[in-house]
Amino acid sequence: MTDIELNNNLQKRTLGQWLFNPFQFIAGGSALLVGLAIILTATYIGSLSNTHFDGVLDVHTGKAAPLWLFFAEVLSDWLWISIMLLIAGHIISRSHSSVRAIDVFGTQALARAPYLLSALVTLPKGYGRFVEFIVSKSTHQTPAVAIGGADVLLFLLGIVVSLVVLIWVILLMYRAYAISCNVKGSKAIISFIAALIVAEILSKLALLLLALVTDALPPA
Amino acid sequence: MKKLPSICPACQSQLNIKKLSCQKCDTEIEGLFELPALAKLSVEDQELILQFIRCSGSLKEMARLQKLSYPTVRNQLDNIIEQIKTPENQE
Repeated sequence: MTDIELNNNLQKRTLGQWLFNPFQFIAGGSALLVGLAIILTATYIGSLSNTHFDGVLDVHTGKAAPLWLFFAEVLSDWLWISIMLLIAGHIISRSHSSVRAIDVFGTQALARAPYLLSALVTLPKGYGRFVEFIVSKSTHQTPAVAIGGADVLLFLLGIVVSLVVLIWVILLMYRAYAISCNVKGSKAIISFIAALIVAEILSKLALLLLALVTDALPPA
Repeated sequence: MKKLPSICPACQSQLNIKKLSCQKCDTEIEGLFELPALAKLSVEDQELILQFIRCSGSLKEMARLQKLSYPTVRNQLDNIIEQIKTPENQE
């Protein structure tokens, strides 16, 4: 590639590419460092409102738990999905050189970055009050908290943002898989969905086992 | 000098060489000559291979120069390998 073409290519990069397919530009160790930093920050912020990332795609605002459990949940999710996609990638990759584990783990860590938004939108007290109110109502108990119009709005905002973030994360996880393992087409989509389901089950089982062994409270 | 086209602009089929000429003595050779495997690739792919050689075969160095991730560059090279491995290129 000539210098002019190279410069043109660099200039063509858009915000959209960075938001929806950053793995063209960042993978491996740097993606792992950035991704883990964001994951751990999101987990800490989430813990302030008892928001658990307790599954490969799950976000739940639940009961209070020790801080280490919040981190164990998110690391378990990330590890299981990365391991499953690495196995799937090794089976179906078109790559003529080996698929690097550091790329799969790094890009999957970075793909979870939007969860920082989920942690932030569940942070306001009003969101937690509304969740507590709904849980009390659904279990036919008298709510211990009173809610206002602002709480309802915060809850609705949180739900909408969390839904958008969920779709965004799935898209990023798939693109991370496609680039790090060089997979395309229907095989890639089917293996991704299969890996996602297996990883979700395994992460749930791992967290259940961890909660049982340590007597920590599982999230609601 | 113009760049050598490898694909027919009318029907998108692979082009062959029909005539060669010497610029010094005007000798002309006519026949049906197949393009070499690398010449059948697109200009972009050929540039990528040239860069690969300039970087002494280091994908990491190519990724650094292009400011792309390592797997992206590796995938570009894998796509070229796939094209070279097609039956018509292996003849």
